[in-house]
Amino acid sequence: MRHVISVLLQNEVGALTRMTGLFSNRGYNIDTLNVAPTDDPLVSRVTLVISGSDKAIAQLNTQLAKLVDVVNIHDMTLGEHFERELAILKLKLQTGGYAKVIGLAKEFGADILDDAQISCTIQLTGKPAMIDEFVRAAGRIGELSAVARSGSVAVSKGEVTLSSYARHHRLTG
Amino acid sequence: MSTELDASPMKKHPLAGTRMSGADVVVQVLADENVDTLFGYSGGAILPTYDAVFRFNDKHRLPNGKSPMSLIVPANEQGAGFMAAGYARASGNVGVVMVTSGPGATNTVTPVRDCMADSVPIVVICGQVPTHAIGTDAFQEAPVSAIMGAIAKHVFLVTDPTRLEATIRSAFEIARTGRPGPVVIDIPKDVQNWEGEFTGTGSLPLHGYRARLHSVLNNRLDDHACERLYKMLAESERPLIYAGGGVINGNATKPMRRFANAHGIPVATTLMALGASDTKHPLSLHMLGMHGTAFANYAVEDCDFLITIGARFDDRVAGDPNNFAPNAKNIAHFDVDVSEIGKVKNVDWHHIGVLSRDLDDLLAYGERIAFRKDFTKWHAEVANLKDKHRMNYDRESELIQPYAVIEEINRLAGGQAIISTGVGQHQMWAAQYFDFREPRLWLTSGSMGTMGFGLPAAIGAQFAHRDRLVIDIDGDGSMRMNIGELETATTYGLPIKVVVFNNFGDGMVRQWQKLFYQGRMSGSDKSLHRKDFVKTAEADGFKFAKRLDNKDDLQAVIKEFIDFSGPAFLEVIIDPDAGVYPMVGPGLSYAKMITGDYIVSRDTPDDEQPGPSEMF
Repeated sequence: MRHVISVLLQNEVGALTRMTGLFSNRGYNIDTLNVAPTDDPLVSRVTLVISGSDKAIAQLNTQLAKLVDVVNIHDMTLGEHFERELAILKLKLQTGGYAKVIGLAKEFGADILDDAQISCTIQLTGKPAMIDEFVRAAGRIGELSAVARSGSVAVSKGEVTLSSYARHHRLTG
Repeated sequence: MSTELDASPMKKHPLAGTRMSGADVVVQVLADENVDTLFGYSGGAILPTYDAVFRFNDKHRLPNGKSPMSLIVPANEQGAGFMAAGYARASGNVGVVMVTSGPGATNTVTPVRDCMADSVPIVVICGQVPTHAIGTDAFQEAPVSAIMGAIAKHVFLVTDPTRLEATIRSAFEIARTGRPGPVVIDIPKDVQNWEGEFTGTGSLPLHGYRARLHSVLNNRLDDHACERLYKMLAESERPLIYAGGGVINGNATKPMRRFANAHGIPVATTLMALGASDTKHPLSLHMLGMHGTAFANYAVEDCDFLITIGARFDDRVAGDPNNFAPNAKNIAHFDVDVSEIGKVKNVDWHHIGVLSRDLDDLLAYGERIAFRKDFTKWHAEVANLKDKHRMNYDRESELIQPYAVIEEINRLAGGQAIISTGVGQHQMWAAQYFDFREPRLWLTSGSMGTMGFGLPAAIGAQFAHRDRLVIDIDGDGSMRMNIGELETATTYGLPIKVVVFNNFGDGMVRQWQKLFYQGRMSGSDKSLHRKDFVKTAEADGFKFAKRLDNKDDLQAVIKEFIDFSGPAFLEVIIDPDAGVYPMVGPGLSYAKMITGDYIVSRDTPDDEQPGPSEMF
């Protein structure tokens, strides 16, 4: 199963390496990874997408929670959440291709950033599955010369935030 | 954040407000942490802090002329790491290592990983090239935070000198709290030479770590949990405690013994927990696992309720987790680390908390409900297992049997000596044939299995316990790995006793090649064998260095060896074909245990071979 994991990480030297290293040390590949500071410059928010059984990912999360730099962690896939990704594509076009780009942008709600008619740049924000579809559709109307995706970012639905999550590991049971 | 920095309303440090160098700050915090022994090797990038240690000792010399902070210099930084580990294991205090950048730091990688794998608290202080030179491929530069980050409990690279003081303090806190482990502090030379104000208080915020730690510390065992556990005990006819290294690390030996003895529950310990139960106690089953006693492993097979305390179902204990304790209707698990719950084996009851407190709380509940259950039938079965399937070997052999040597040393040491080991057959023989009446007497590289651990660990332990008998039981292969430390023992006049069981090769490797590779002795037929160990020990300053190669001399030589007042070295030429039995093959269940020719087996196991991918 696909899991979206959000982590608040202290901005220490090597913190990100230690965190991502844990996945490879324990035999997992990260599908997507997104990192950026939060409103607190000392803390970054990391979003990882990773595939594995629920039990294996739960174990991995308890291992992540042992890292000193990790402030908090939550598997978004355990509850309702919003997940979005940003993609910027560059397309090489044949004569007449630009009209199709306009149609594509309209269909997906994408923005055309650079409308040079032989090589245009388009931006789209949406759910990862929609981005996948958009990339495929774009590939059909021109030659994809650049595909830059941010990887998923996610927040949970409702009032709950990552910092307000109670640690979900049962200490007695 | 700032409120937490100054959260502890301590008495003002007498040196608060004093201006000092970063190096002096490091040494002052070490002194505040009651560090009396440092193990390390100097070099360019750590020179300022070595100088600060010298000046500190000069200024605070003890009335007897000795240094308050002894600096012990090994032959190799790996030795320093294992000395600190031996010191920490034997004393329960944090061991401290101080080395230079580059090769100094990388030589400590093995002991740092070893400490992580066995949950041993050490702090390693590494010099680093100056901040401006980091990343330039400078002389003796290595990416220590990246290397150590993957293997240590935590690593700090101090880039802001104003955080140096808090960082050193936090490193000790992280090393000793929760599940203990190694913490590495990488300090660039310019940070050591920085000058600033010593505040005498404060640590890093560590928000997530402290929050998680507090939730564990505050997680008291409630009546409901106690009730459930006692219900399982009441329904049980054959309860068994499976105690692991957490009992030793958590200083929970006494509460565990009280709980076990109050209800008459037999105890089997892991390799890491030898000494958690008094091995001479009738309900002690000694060690379980791959090379555990046959009676302990049979008891695991028979038990109907397994109480796991500070243990983690490691592959050397539960090679086949699905068939481990197959008759246990319930399994309970106490630990300090929530990630161990259900990692290998699902359990029916668990509690994460402070082991010593929780076991006392549990027993208090049992006393409150006046719990009584008669386990005498089980006790009789255990006594029968211990008698019928006792450890044994070829007592009539002309050759010296290693077991006989250990039995003789054990007779003199009486389960009160500190025993360290290398890794291999001698390690397992020592685990099987020595008695341990108390915790922290048994120092061995359990999880990492690092050959060369024994000698430096014995040296470190002797510094922690100046008056205890400390014996390193080693093999010829393991001894070679850190043989340079023989000179460290004599240089510091440590009365450690070093035994080398010489079977001219890697006995455990040969045993596996015989059992699983049809006797193809790849590599082990090329073992080094030219060294004269006795001459080596003499050259390194041992006044007592003998070779025991005649069975008739065994008793007399061992007595002379143990009684010698200074450092003593004994090479024993053992039967090269002596094997380690019992043995549960890798990945197999206890039902497949083989017991060799001299230990009585209960079953006739089919000769199932382990799968090739289980061959580790």
